[in-house]
Amino acid sequence: MSYAYLFKYIIIGDTGVGKSCLLLQFTDKRFQPVHDLTIGVEFGARMITIAGKQIKLQIWDTAGQESFRSITRSYYRGAAGALLVYDITRRDTFEHLTNWLEDARQHSSSNMVIMLIGNKCDLESRREVKKEEGEAFAREHGMIFMEASAKTAQNVEEAFINTAKEIYDKIQEGVFDIQNEANGIKLGPEHASPGVGGGGAGARGPGSSSQSGGCC
Amino acid sequence: MSLNQWRKFAFFDKKIVKNESGEPFDALKPYKIWASSSGRGKLFFGDADGVIIVMDQRLEVFTFRAHLLRVSHLCMMKQQNFLVSVGDDDGDAELLIKVWNFDKMDASGTPTCARIIRLPAETSREPVTCFTVHENLNYMAIGYSNGSVVLFKGDITKERNASKHIQIHKGKSPITGLSFRPTTTGKGGIALYISSLDEIWSYAIGSRDKESESILDHHGCALQCSTMTDSTVDFQFVIGRSDAFYFYLPDSRGQCLAFGGEKVLLEWCHGYLVVVSKKDDSDGRASSSDSLGGDMQIITIYDVKNKLIAYYGPVQEVKALLCEWGSVFVLCNDNKLFQIKEKELVQKLDMLFRKNLYSLAISLAKAQHYDQDALVDMFRQYADHLYSKGDFDEAMSQYIKTIGRLEPSYVIRQFLDAQRIHNLTAYLSALHECNLASEDHTTLLLNCYTKLKDVEQLDRFIMKRSANKAVSFDIETAIRVLRQSGYFKHALYLSELHQKHDWYLRIQLEDNKDYRKALDYMAKLEFAAVEANMRTYGKMLMSNVSLETTELLKRLCSNYGTDTNSDGEEIVLHANPEDYFHIFITHSEEMRSFLECVLAVRSDLAPELHNTLLGLYLESYKKCTADVAAAKERAGLEEKIMDFLRGTEPRNYTQALLQCQMNNFAPGILFLYEQKAMYGEILQFAVDRKSYDGVISTCRRFGEKDPQLWVQAFWFYASNFGEYDKALIGEVLKVIEKLNLLQPMMVVDILAKNPNATLDTIRDYIIRRMHTDERKILEDEAQVQKYREKTEKIRKEVDLMKSGAQTFQDANCSACDKSLELPSVHFLCRHSYHQHCFESYAENDECPACRPENRKILDEIKTQEQSKDLTQQFMTRLGKENDAFSVVADYFGKGLFGRNVSIDDLIRPNGES
Repeated sequence: MSYAYLFKYIIIGDTGVGKSCLLLQFTDKRFQPVHDLTIGVEFGARMITIAGKQIKLQIWDTAGQESFRSITRSYYRGAAGALLVYDITRRDTFEHLTNWLEDARQHSSSNMVIMLIGNKCDLESRREVKKEEGEAFAREHGMIFMEASAKTAQNVEEAFINTAKEIYDKIQEGVFDIQNEANGIKLGPEHASPGVGGGGAGARGPGSSSQSGGCC
Repeated sequence: MSLNQWRKFAFFDKKIVKNESGEPFDALKPYKIWASSSGRGKLFFGDADGVIIVMDQRLEVFTFRAHLLRVSHLCMMKQQNFLVSVGDDDGDAELLIKVWNFDKMDASGTPTCARIIRLPAETSREPVTCFTVHENLNYMAIGYSNGSVVLFKGDITKERNASKHIQIHKGKSPITGLSFRPTTTGKGGIALYISSLDEIWSYAIGSRDKESESILDHHGCALQCSTMTDSTVDFQFVIGRSDAFYFYLPDSRGQCLAFGGEKVLLEWCHGYLVVVSKKDDSDGRASSSDSLGGDMQIITIYDVKNKLIAYYGPVQEVKALLCEWGSVFVLCNDNKLFQIKEKELVQKLDMLFRKNLYSLAISLAKAQHYDQDALVDMFRQYADHLYSKGDFDEAMSQYIKTIGRLEPSYVIRQFLDAQRIHNLTAYLSALHECNLASEDHTTLLLNCYTKLKDVEQLDRFIMKRSANKAVSFDIETAIRVLRQSGYFKHALYLSELHQKHDWYLRIQLEDNKDYRKALDYMAKLEFAAVEANMRTYGKMLMSNVSLETTELLKRLCSNYGTDTNSDGEEIVLHANPEDYFHIFITHSEEMRSFLECVLAVRSDLAPELHNTLLGLYLESYKKCTADVAAAKERAGLEEKIMDFLRGTEPRNYTQALLQCQMNNFAPGILFLYEQKAMYGEILQFAVDRKSYDGVISTCRRFGEKDPQLWVQAFWFYASNFGEYDKALIGEVLKVIEKLNLLQPMMVVDILAKNPNATLDTIRDYIIRRMHTDERKILEDEAQVQKYREKTEKIRKEVDLMKSGAQTFQDANCSACDKSLELPSVHFLCRHSYHQHCFESYAENDECPACRPENRKILDEIKTQEQSKDLTQQFMTRLGKENDAFSVVADYFGKGLFGRNVSIDDLIRPNGES
């Protein structure tokens, strides 16, 4: 399947906030109530259409646990979009957002579009974080905000697609250098200019500089 | 740390490979194994002396010399019977690649060497670290410790195609792994993954030489710590590092499994990732096995798809991992061969069940294409387990998967509790989705919906599902249930959609009381349906919307469209009106118009219908009669009835008459009498009404056809003498006289019965009659006289004949007309014959001349005498003739009333002289 653009996403957030479930819902359209802990990083992909263009989303769903942080950090690099997820029924996951954000900003390209998602919004009765709080936090840090539910699939599509739209808009504005794959954006086969296809002079450049994020 | 692990199972059994005698397999003992490979049911080992050892499943071993010094790398093809080896052939450390064809064995049983490839000179002195061959035998790659990779292209088995080799990569650190991504599915085509100690690259081998290299990661892996996966995970390249396993797609990084520990060896085997790692210090068990020596390693088998560890166990230092015969073979440093054999699926599932890991078991079973029935049973077990845990929602979602195999009642019974009606509903609707629902299920489901007051769901179930006609439930049941629970709208919708007219009407009429709609609906139906339903519901409709109902009935019974019958002819459809009569009870107005309409159109109807209509007319006529004010209407009606009576063809007069009589409709009665020529009755009718003028006019009109009318009239006038114009009786008498209908005596007698009658009424008549009679008497007397005289004359003649002599004066013979001669014969009739003439003519003693005449008379007499059924004849004639008396006289004369004179007596006197 050919595509016009390929966007790389990363999903981050505390353990148990439902990152893997969001991905599963988005790629497989199903919900798995009992989900094993993610060990490392999982991977998913799906095609979407924005402004009539086929866009392939490659999504890395990272483990939320602290012990995997060193591994997951290496995946920040080269992501065009990030879904920062917290659980509206667990206040602590909301409070950890600042750390996550810091981490993400530090290890990723500065243009990365981050969307804040308050997951499990179907569990209204157990809500601990108000929607307004989420909105305020997002506004403050220049993120898009959305409450979603991986269980009911509410806003799941929207979360991924809105992020993609934002990235797409930025491309149109010229904010992203699409020739630089380190931004997490790749032109599709039909768009690829010889420079990009030819072995990655652009890709090799940032490799050395951000290698420190790989593993330590 | 243990929390951050997958579940561990013992899905594999490790055991040492033993030979037939039960001893550990030790055929490899003498060799110094340097390289290994497997494929096509065989294990291959290359040893440091240049010998290749081939071992088959029966553990039989044969060897052949491949290289002079050392076999450093082996690569067995899976699809073709080729083995490629890399080894030293002279001390110069120059390496040769040899391709062995195992399909062509030479006389000594060793495979032929199809080709020898000399490594390119510029790199040949560098130590080769990795070597791989693509399955299609068109690509081959060699990695060197100096970080360069050389790719060979072209058929490696054939000498002719001098395959070109190119250096495609030059890195800084030694190459540690090379793998071809075999497939061309998806984008990118074939790719070569290259791992070095520091980096991971992929090299896309395009079909049009558009080959490109791209870096995938900035950290690499150790030797033997990379492998190629298979289609189950999209042919990703996987490497093992001390912190995790990293997967790579040709164009990007893939998933990452964070399993720590220093990896020694990675192998992908039937969907499992088999990993040998150094023992983990944090693992207590491994350290306890220190007694076995410091070189213990751990072998772990990961099931990446199902996210579990399928096997975990210590092993002595591993030299090679081989994957063949569905098992993993582990060659240890001391040349001991272990087999790690996967357990039967049933066993594995058993283990999972014991731990209540049903969902895992199910996905495992599915991956192995487990038998469907068994899967269903697993679903059921899982569901039962969830149910017992009180997780009804989940349990139900599992139960739903059992639909089609598991008896639904098993599930339904468990969820009958009112608390679980939601689950039950879900199950039932899923059941319907699969078209497996029985009538009871439909009922139950609809009941659920109605109980839940879930109109939306109900709507969806009824409207949507049935709209596409693929009905997954029993319509009738559904309608019944919906109706019972008061969801008439849905019931109506269903019944309309599925043409359950009966139901539709029943609901519309009995529940909704929307008669007009019902009628409209009915009017749209096909003939047969309307016909039947009208019979059932017509009464109800009539009592509510009589006008429209009548209209429909009219249409139904006169012309309800056309149809072609079996012969292809067009026939007009119409119902039998009599079937619908009951509908019109107490609706005579409607019935009248109905019948009028129907009769006007159809001619094939039973006469009873006409009578019915007549009856209706008469009834209303009678009603008008009672009402003085409605005189005009009455006249109109009368006209109508008469028209009706006149206008239609022969029919059951009796019935019509009866009805007219019952309703006292005089014009009708008279008309009918006339039609039937029942003039007497007409007269009687007038008589009954004492209509004197009527009587006489009747007589005038019909007297010619039935003269007896006059007699009756006479009787009538006679008995009512004096109350009418005398001229009438005079007229009657005149006719009677003219036609001689009554004897004067009788006239007198009749008149005499009435004490008021006066003689002068009939005086003229009597006188006239007497005169006539007198004249007749005179005539008769004259006649009698005449006959008497004649008789006398004959008598005298007879006497003469009897007593007087007869003179025969004829001179000639009556036969031959010649003069008579003796002997001669003479008859009293005055004929004479020659004897011989007489004899020749006569048959007996009769006169031949008179014989025909005599014979005729005799015959007549005889006939009269013989006719035995004279009585009958007499009676008919008596009826026919005007003058009965003359007939009687005639017959009397013929001797009907007694024995006649014997004919013989009459003849005798004519005898021979």
